[in-house]
Amino acid sequence: MEAAIFYLISATVIISALIVVSLENIARALFLFFVVLLGVAALYVFALADFVAIIQIMVYVGGVLILMLFAFMLSSKELLKSIEAKEDRFISVPKWSAVLMCSLLLAILLSNARELLIPTWVIESIKSKQVLSSTDNTIENIGYQFMTRYVFQFEFISIFLLAALIGATHIARKDKTL
Amino acid sequence: MSGIFTHIIVTCLIFGGIALFGLLAVYAERKIAGFVQDRLGPMETGPYGLLQTVADILKLIQKEYIAPDKADKVLFKIAPIVIFIAVFMGLSVIPWGPGIDFANTHTGLFLLMVIVSIDVLGILMAGWSSNNKYSLLGAMRSIAQMISYEIPVGLSLLAVVSLHQTLNLQTLTLQQGILSNTSVFFMGFWDVSDIGGIFAWNIFQAPHLIAIYGLFFISTLAECNRAPFDIPEAESELIGGFHTEYSGVRFAFIFLGEYAMMFLVAILGAVLFLGGWNTPLPNIGPLQLASWTTGYFWGVAWLLLKSLLVVGIQIWVRWTLPRFRADQLMNLCWKVFIPVGFIGLGISAIWRIFVMI
Repeated sequence: MEAAIFYLISATVIISALIVVSLENIARALFLFFVVLLGVAALYVFALADFVAIIQIMVYVGGVLILMLFAFMLSSKELLKSIEAKEDRFISVPKWSAVLMCSLLLAILLSNARELLIPTWVIESIKSKQVLSSTDNTIENIGYQFMTRYVFQFEFISIFLLAALIGATHIARKDKTL
Repeated sequence: MSGIFTHIIVTCLIFGGIALFGLLAVYAERKIAGFVQDRLGPMETGPYGLLQTVADILKLIQKEYIAPDKADKVLFKIAPIVIFIAVFMGLSVIPWGPGIDFANTHTGLFLLMVIVSIDVLGILMAGWSSNNKYSLLGAMRSIAQMISYEIPVGLSLLAVVSLHQTLNLQTLTLQQGILSNTSVFFMGFWDVSDIGGIFAWNIFQAPHLIAIYGLFFISTLAECNRAPFDIPEAESELIGGFHTEYSGVRFAFIFLGEYAMMFLVAILGAVLFLGGWNTPLPNIGPLQLASWTTGYFWGVAWLLLKSLLVVGIQIWVRWTLPRFRADQLMNLCWKVFIPVGFIGLGISAIWRIFVMI
């Protein structure tokens, strides 16, 4: 039952992601992207990472996707036409960057592929009974980890975000004297 | 297997309840409006005007479904469903009574925050696919407003969460009554763990939460696009906002989504601030009013009573106050509500450390 649902969701994610990149109608592609994000969130739930799943919807659907839609709706039609026009040449700059990204991702996947079925650290944790059940409270754990083990990364990202916020307000200000 | 049955039956029950609530809320809306403005329809159709809502639903169902010629047909059809399902999903995590919670997750409150962002997407979908300038303008206004007001709502939720240290709605409710595992203090000094009742509600556990509840109530009015914050569907400027082009059953679904959203935020306010399914009656000596009025049936009844009362206030506000201007709306949100929300969060943190311990 659960395996069937898992494969159903995975298939939905993969197929709709493929349609997103091949659709010429940008508005529809953006709305279909929502299905992809929701499906990925569902896969996170299957990995018992419900907090991450909700963050995924909150940040990507509530923030990034809405922002993309706004940018799309506020840009002029002529600008969009140049994007929608297909480049037929095989070797073009946007395609090469995409190829680079894909091959890097594939390399990462392949480097993990030597432990194809179940990685050794998973088997070890199962042996030492360090496993989560579906009713465990993962938020508390995440909070403790953020404030102890990953405190440097946490603070680093916070300062980075603060810098981005200040930068955004600086760009948006009317008085450009400063 | 029985689990699946209960989940399906319960879901159908909740759906039926929401549909019924939508119908009755429309009736109540028109009745109160009719009372305030002395309108004839909801007062005169049938005995006490009771048949008006039946007439409404018959009219909506038999109406022809029209899609504009140049609309994006697929998105136009999906949008009302997205709007309704988003709100309907939120009801799954609500604790209806002691032990009656269908999805008792540790992230319940957080999930409710997400509902709004999916709702926003549905509204944008409806506004864009209609291919109508009024619809698109309405959707744009609606989104600007909902995203801005999500911040004060989030801050007021955080003020409660930082006091109780959980995002689980059932646990949050438990800590406001006689069934609490930890001791409950009225205003931080009087132990009311065994007395319960209205004294154990969150707004009386820490007095600054009364102000925060006011903030929450006003911000959720804006999130539901309700008057006095209904500039996204201002009839006099935008015809009907994002649902201008909708008719028949699809319009009914958008409408149902809006009323279900009102109900959802009313329940959320009741759970977080007004004790959820806990009784308002305290134990007084041998008169064990709180113990007598706590249970499955009582829990559901109290929660419904509280949230319907809040819905009543929402309707009352709509027909009493005039509409805000867009700039006033944004000024109120960014220059008043967000600073107040941060102050409330700060007081909550201090209260937690120095008073509750």
